[in-house]
Amino acid sequence: MISFDNVTKRYPNGYDALSQVNFSLASGEMAFLTGHSGAGKSTLLKLLMLMERPSNGRVLMGNQDLATLSNRQIPYHRRRVGVVFQNHQLLFDRSVFENIVLPLRICGFDPADATRRARAALDKVGLLDKEKLNPVVLSGGEQQRVGIARAIVHKPQVLLADEPTGNLDPKLSEEVMRLFQQFNQVGTTVLIASHDLGLIARMPHRVITLNRGRLVADGK
Amino acid sequence: MENNQRRKGAVRVEPNPKRDAKIHRGAEHHRLKMSDKGRSYLRHNLEVAKQSYFSLLAQPLTTFMTLAVLAIALALPGALYTGLKNLQQLGDGWQGDPRVALYLKMTASDEDAETLSRELLLRDDVAGTELITAQQGMLEFQAMSGFGDVFSFLDSNPLPAVVMVMPRNLSVTEVPLLQAKLQALPQVDEAVVDMEWVQRLAGFVLLAERMVWVLTALFITAVLLVVGNTIRLSIESRRDEIIIAKLVGATDAYVRRPFLYDGVWFGVAGGLAAWVLIQLSLLLLNSPVEHLVRLYNSQFELAGLGFGETILLLILSILLGLAGAWLAVGRHLREIQPQ
Repeated sequence: MISFDNVTKRYPNGYDALSQVNFSLASGEMAFLTGHSGAGKSTLLKLLMLMERPSNGRVLMGNQDLATLSNRQIPYHRRRVGVVFQNHQLLFDRSVFENIVLPLRICGFDPADATRRARAALDKVGLLDKEKLNPVVLSGGEQQRVGIARAIVHKPQVLLADEPTGNLDPKLSEEVMRLFQQFNQVGTTVLIASHDLGLIARMPHRVITLNRGRLVADGK
Repeated sequence: MENNQRRKGAVRVEPNPKRDAKIHRGAEHHRLKMSDKGRSYLRHNLEVAKQSYFSLLAQPLTTFMTLAVLAIALALPGALYTGLKNLQQLGDGWQGDPRVALYLKMTASDEDAETLSRELLLRDDVAGTELITAQQGMLEFQAMSGFGDVFSFLDSNPLPAVVMVMPRNLSVTEVPLLQAKLQALPQVDEAVVDMEWVQRLAGFVLLAERMVWVLTALFITAVLLVVGNTIRLSIESRRDEIIIAKLVGATDAYVRRPFLYDGVWFGVAGGLAAWVLIQLSLLLLNSPVEHLVRLYNSQFELAGLGFGETILLLILSILLGLAGAWLAVGRHLREIQPQ
């Protein structure tokens, strides 16, 4: 589903965020992406979101070379991908429900259908009773769950997460990871960038390790 | 070649509803029909238009200030145009009927005047004549000017006989030619085309027209800048929303749309307010103009903006609102990208 083919990302200042990275993730696979901060985890995710383009090499998603997508086609690419951010990126001028329904509105879903799907996503993350609240009154863990619900509400083929447990205590972190596992079990390909090594070690998934932009380890 | 590949890419990137349905089991039929897509597009536009309308109402002060500037900036050229139109109308009233007035020499008697008048009728280039004898002229003057008593102090009638000549050819080039020929007649003291002031008026109108155009261009620029600036602020205040929308796959058109509708609403409301301002100022001008017109014994009537012109004003202001929004959106949305 995801494939990096000799990918290098050099920023204009000459800094190589990624160099010659090779790996691929099968459809329905779940993997962790780890490494120190600055190792290139975020850059790798940005390449998958087409927030950046590689300087060299090819990034493929679902057999499609992302380099063939023009800037106009980026939005349609992003609709295939769900992303969870460390800082949640929620909008505090609207309710939890409105936050979650946003991707569906953007994709042009029928309103009744969108409402049904948004509720289903909220139910999955256990926040159905909080749909009318403003996310600002929720706890950090709950806010992250809203972020996750928004990332999966349109049933993306790929789910990416950038330090999704960065601000959470161990118990909440584990809950969040279990959520990701659940989505993986229904067929979503999941790639989670995290430096929470203890938590990662307790989960039976593949771990891809980056160090200064190079892939240094890849395995269970 | 590369273009071709890109196009292929575009086809593939569209989520395939059938495949989705297989993977997710759920009812994934939202993308099956083009008509659904169209309906969703329409629904979204309606929704955005409504949201934009209410969000403008939610900030009454900002909206009011912007609208006031817009209304004034639109009303000024509108009012100038209306004034110009009235001036033109004033000129047009006379232009259809240019006459050459022949003021005869004081030595010419009424009989001479009568003879001349009949002789002129025989000319090819004259359509008709009308004789105003010195006596008639005096009576008319007394009746119209209110200075009738003045004549009682005079020994004789100071007014000459006048022959009004209607030219057969009314073109701007022919009438002055006829005027010159008639001027050359021995009995004629002076041949005056009463078209002259109409021509001067036309010259003045031409000048005023230019000025209105220049001012209109300036005010249009002002409208674009005002709308652009307001929209720019609105974009800034919704930065987070734009970034998130782009991250979850919003197209540029989707992100642009609410701001374009803001511009359209500014155009609609600004145009209506400008119309009200123009009509109000005409109402204020109406009674002094009527007074003036009565002094000139004229049939002139002050005309406001007609139906067509009102529609034109509205369309223009909507287009300006849209264009201002487009300018702001084009520049600032590109800068806002998820990091």
